[in-house]
Amino acid sequence: MSQPIIEIANLVKRYEMGDEEVFALQGVTLTIGRNEYVALMGPSGSGKSTLMNMLGCLDTPTSGSYLFTGENVSDMDDDDLAEIRNREIGFVFQTFNLLPRATALQNVELPLVYAGMAKDQRMQRATEALKRVGLADRMDHKPNELSGGQRQRVAIARALVTSPSIILADEPTGNLDSKTGQDIMRLFGELWRGGNTVILVTHEEDVARHARRIIRLRDGRIESDEVNPHAPLA
Amino acid sequence: MNALESISIAIDAVRSQKLRSSLTLLSIGIGVFAIIASTSIMNTLQQAVNGQLADLGENSILIQRTPTINFGTNWAKMRKRKNITYAQAQQFRDRMTTTQLISISNESPAYTIKAGLESTNPDVSLIGIDDQYFAVNAIAIGEGRSFIESEVILNRRAAVIGTDVVKALFGQGSALGKTITIKNQEFDVIGILESRGGVLGQSQDNRVLIPITVFNRYYTSEWDASVDISVKAESKLTLESTFDEAVGVMRALRSVKPWDENNFEIDTNDAITGQFSGFSSALLIVAWISGLGALVAAGIGIMNMMLVSVRERTREIGVRKALGARKRWIVRQFLIESITLCQLGGLTGMIGGLGSSWAVTEILRGTMPSLSYVMPWGTVVFSIVICTVIGIGFGLYPAWRAATLDPIEALRYE
Ligand SMILES: Nc1ncnc2c1ncn2[C@@H]1O[C@H](COP(=O)(O)OP(=O)(O)OP(=O)(O)O)[C@@H](O)[C@H]1O
Ligand SMILES: [Mg+2]
Repeated sequence: MSQPIIEIANLVKRYEMGDEEVFALQGVTLTIGRNEYVALMGPSGSGKSTLMNMLGCLDTPTSGSYLFTGENVSDMDDDDLAEIRNREIGFVFQTFNLLPRATALQNVELPLVYAGMAKDQRMQRATEALKRVGLADRMDHKPNELSGGQRQRVAIARALVTSPSIILADEPTGNLDSKTGQDIMRLFGELWRGGNTVILVTHEEDVARHARRIIRLRDGRIESDEVNPHAPLA
Repeated sequence: MNALESISIAIDAVRSQKLRSSLTLLSIGIGVFAIIASTSIMNTLQQAVNGQLADLGENSILIQRTPTINFGTNWAKMRKRKNITYAQAQQFRDRMTTTQLISISNESPAYTIKAGLESTNPDVSLIGIDDQYFAVNAIAIGEGRSFIESEVILNRRAAVIGTDVVKALFGQGSALGKTITIKNQEFDVIGILESRGGVLGQSQDNRVLIPITVFNRYYTSEWDASVDISVKAESKLTLESTFDEAVGVMRALRSVKPWDENNFEIDTNDAITGQFSGFSSALLIVAWISGLGALVAAGIGIMNMMLVSVRERTREIGVRKALGARKRWIVRQFLIESITLCQLGGLTGMIGGLGSSWAVTEILRGTMPSLSYVMPWGTVVFSIVICTVIGIGFGLYPAWRAATLDPIEALRYE
């Protein structure tokens, strides 16, 4: 296995709902290396999103340890986490989560704004990222002037514009028709072949088939973790 | 991009919540309006008072039918007062014993002075004076001379003119010995006033002095025929006794019953200053307290608007945090927004305040043509600062709420 980016051990996430306790994760141990392509699967409520949020430093575990590129994330404060998210992680959401008032270009620029990059450089990087996802001709469009597939491409451009260590996608094709979904999956495949680390959550076996490794969760535990026998060759 | 974006979001917020935001902005506007208008109007009145004080010399007493500036006294009562006629003033002068320095004058605003083809703006003060005028008032001849007693008595058509008038009619040339025309009457220029520049933007040099006898004949109308009497005490020590004597003589001449109030105004230099500062500080305190009160109320409205804005944009905040926005970026964004809201309101109040104080100045200029509008720069800057402070003060809590939202919960917010 290549050099690990993510090393988690005995990760537990407990939610308290009044008197009731919900264990979304009950001791997950997992290592993911550089340039892996992982699909997280499992029934609804099995803890996929919870695990993704944890991996993406959006949430902190109740117990257990999380080393991100060797650094202990558990004892970082909000601003340190924000910086890791900004520099190292690219998110792609099921519902795209673009800012409605901003153009495609401005949306893609946003992470670079928070990285403190100068305007010229931002424009250049964002333009490149949009070209990579095939939207060079839609840069000045607002999200409501774009199709679902195009919106998700903008979101992917936004995720990769900072050249992050990993790209995390929680059901990225969940709101798209299957044809558009396939286009998006082809794009993730290209990113992976280009050297990126990609982790995505999906319900669909068709989608998971693109990944090199499939991890299945059930009731907050890893049920299986295997190499995808159907994976297309790199 | 980020600051501009926040500003445009603030403007959008105003548009999308018209009623609530216009009430909030109006309230800021009222606060700024009260502060700017009151300060600015006081500046103008101060100018008028200073103009009068500039003429009135040391240890001097001024007697008039009504005060130049009315500090809230009853106008109806004032209007009923009889004029101080020239004859009455002369009697007064003759009866006074504690001092001989008494001058009778009358001023009428807004004359156009001509010489040949040249003419001034119609805003020159025309003042009728006697031979004592320069001895009593704090005003001096620069070139030439003033009138002698016989010239006043014999209605001599002669004039002493201010340097502004000289400049307007004769440019760089000499004015002494030339002839000027005021409403079809010709006057020889026999003296030039020493230039005094402006007091708070009001020029002291834009005036023409002629013998009061001539003035009374051609340039007074019923309503402004009342003359002013300036009395200079021999020294500071005798000021009080001279003042008392003047009151006594005037009351006798105007047949005031012992139990009635004076039916004329009599003031010393200090008294006028005192009256004015008492009046103006009272008005300023009231205006500023209500202005600041309105601003604080508006601040609470701003806070409410910002909390709504934060709630409506919870998801957006979640996205920004997921993309790596630190707390201070989010705080900054919402503070810019609330400051923008405050400045929008402040701007309307400022325009209203400046406009109405300008209008008040214009109205006062009807009776005091030498008044000019003084832009209250200090107060304008103060209003911008206070709007910023309120934007920050009341925007901080909503901004902090936004910055400390949990990213996951914010992203999940419907
Ligand atoms: N904020 C929360 N408060 C309480 N319980 C929560 C919270 N978030 C998640 N859970 C619970 O944790 C468990 C795992 O949720 P999670 O969202 O990770 O599931 P998932 O595998 O992503 O499901 P889906 O496929 O439906 O998206 C669920 O039982 C859920 O009810
Ligand atoms: Mg989920």
